Amino acid sequence: MEPVLSRNFHLSQPPGLADYRAGGGYEALKVALGQDPEAMIEMVDKTGLRGYGGAGFPLARKWRARGSDAPHPRYLVMNVDETEPGSFKDRQLLYRDPHQVIEAVLVTGFIEQADHAYVFIRGEYAEGARRLEQAVAEAREAGLVGRNILGSGFDLDLDVHLSAGRYICGEETALLNALEGRRGNPRSKPPMPFEKGLWGAPTLVHNIETLCHVPHIVSRGPDWFNGQGVNGGHGTKLYSVCGEVKRPGFWELPMGTTARELIYEHAGGPPNGQALAAFLPGGASTAFLLPEHLDTPMHFDAVAATGSRFGTCGIIALGSGTCPLDFLIGIHKFFVRESCGFCTPCRDGLPYLHSLLERVEAGQGRPGDLDLMLELCAKIAPNSFCPFAPGAITPLESGLKVFADVIQAHIERGACPYRGAH
Amino acid sequence: MLTDHERSHLEEHIARYPEKRAGAIYTLQFLQQKYGYLPDEALAEASGLCGLSVTQLDELATFYTLLLRRPAGRTVLRICDSIACHLAGAPALLAEAQRLTGAPLGGVSEDGSVTVMPHVCLGLCDQAPAALAGERELGKLDQAALGKLLASLKTVEEG
Repeated sequence: MEPVLSRNFHLSQPPGLADYRAGGGYEALKVALGQDPEAMIEMVDKTGLRGYGGAGFPLARKWRARGSDAPHPRYLVMNVDETEPGSFKDRQLLYRDPHQVIEAVLVTGFIEQADHAYVFIRGEYAEGARRLEQAVAEAREAGLVGRNILGSGFDLDLDVHLSAGRYICGEETALLNALEGRRGNPRSKPPMPFEKGLWGAPTLVHNIETLCHVPHIVSRGPDWFNGQGVNGGHGTKLYSVCGEVKRPGFWELPMGTTARELIYEHAGGPPNGQALAAFLPGGASTAFLLPEHLDTPMHFDAVAATGSRFGTCGIIALGSGTCPLDFLIGIHKFFVRESCGFCTPCRDGLPYLHSLLERVEAGQGRPGDLDLMLELCAKIAPNSFCPFAPGAITPLESGLKVFADVIQAHIERGACPYRGAH
Repeated sequence: MLTDHERSHLEEHIARYPEKRAGAIYTLQFLQQKYGYLPDEALAEASGLCGLSVTQLDELATFYTLLLRRPAGRTVLRICDSIACHLAGAPALLAEAQRLTGAPLGGVSEDGSVTVMPHVCLGLCDQAPAALAGERELGKLDQAALGKLLASLKTVEEG
């Protein structure tokens, strides 16, 4: 398969403007500037391209929801707040090919007829933000960013906004608050950001990987894009596998590649003679899948059909030698720390669950603890303000059910059944 | 105190946003770079530039995890303890870091060289266990590498 998004990843340094152009870079921008935005929306619609930040909302539907008659100023925000544990694909795009990121913003900005674009980058990716800023300066110098881009009459300025931490800022309304210089607490919807976003103006927020596909679709067409997928998937995907595998990493592969191929062929399978016990298919906030699901094609619909979620498709593997309760604690403590504190079920409920998990792990679990934890899961998720708590509860609730016997064994023995077993 | 040059740099950056307060995060990051953390005086300086009260700035500084309201070591070492790093030994690394520095997590080592903190996923899951020393990314850490790193940080000079 020909690499698309990762075509410059083999270089030891990210390509500068001249090298990026020599490889065909910014040609898609030229093509886009000569086309009708509506025709390009139609092209992207034919690919069914969905948001790769986790939510999976179809891009063309997002554009149509805002409409071509939305008032100005209009903002475009590229979301590079990747903080989902087990997800490290957006980092690669930002660090390894910043001009591709800029071209994606410019083409999308033209389709949206946006007035200003922001690339919102998590604070921990400061080095990536610097590389992007250098590339933006180069592009601006060459007439690719700013006023009258390539003589087309289209203006779009682009600012890089380095954030200062917090997972919740990847949620689009929390991101808008963070960008405006407020605490990154989510906003209530409606109004949707495409109606009233940044400073009350129509704003579209997109994941970086999603947008990086757009210039390729515009220049090569939807049929080419759709032909890249396998097993019912369309296009390519930056997949990653981490956790208990021999060779954790990321690979651009046809969308629809099976979990088995990803975990065993590319990541080498679990180390030290372990079997695969389970895996999270789409980052930390998705439900567990089991070895029986290994032949599932990794695309949105096929993963949804298993009852889990495609999410960012950052697969996290759990080996048979590791205590699943320890794995659950490793997942859950992240959400406890990252709750923004705005609503009570999330702020207080998640730490309470954490204390119960630790009590059971310490061998002090009580007979009703599993039921109590499941009851808390059922109450916290639907009563919280934003998708964060449901994202925290999903892996925990699914883990408590899938590994109920392990949890009960901890409670009954007063010790971890895995300790000393391997 | 900000120099005239620093002040005009910040004013220029803030002016790129439709509202001044959107420049607050950049301003606080800049001041933290200068002072090592955000003392009350820094919030007062930011207040005049961003059009926010000191209390509003404190709300921001206490929300965002990369902003520090308390003095920190010359290098802040953030060891990731999210799932991939958790599985690869982050809890033992955090314990070892406390033993070697003699300071609790979030505290300053006696020689002032380092503050060690647990941190959320750094997007380095393929190199677990991972950390950030200042803005420098470190992967595949083990106890020996951590010991060497902490020893090397002792010689990093202030500012």
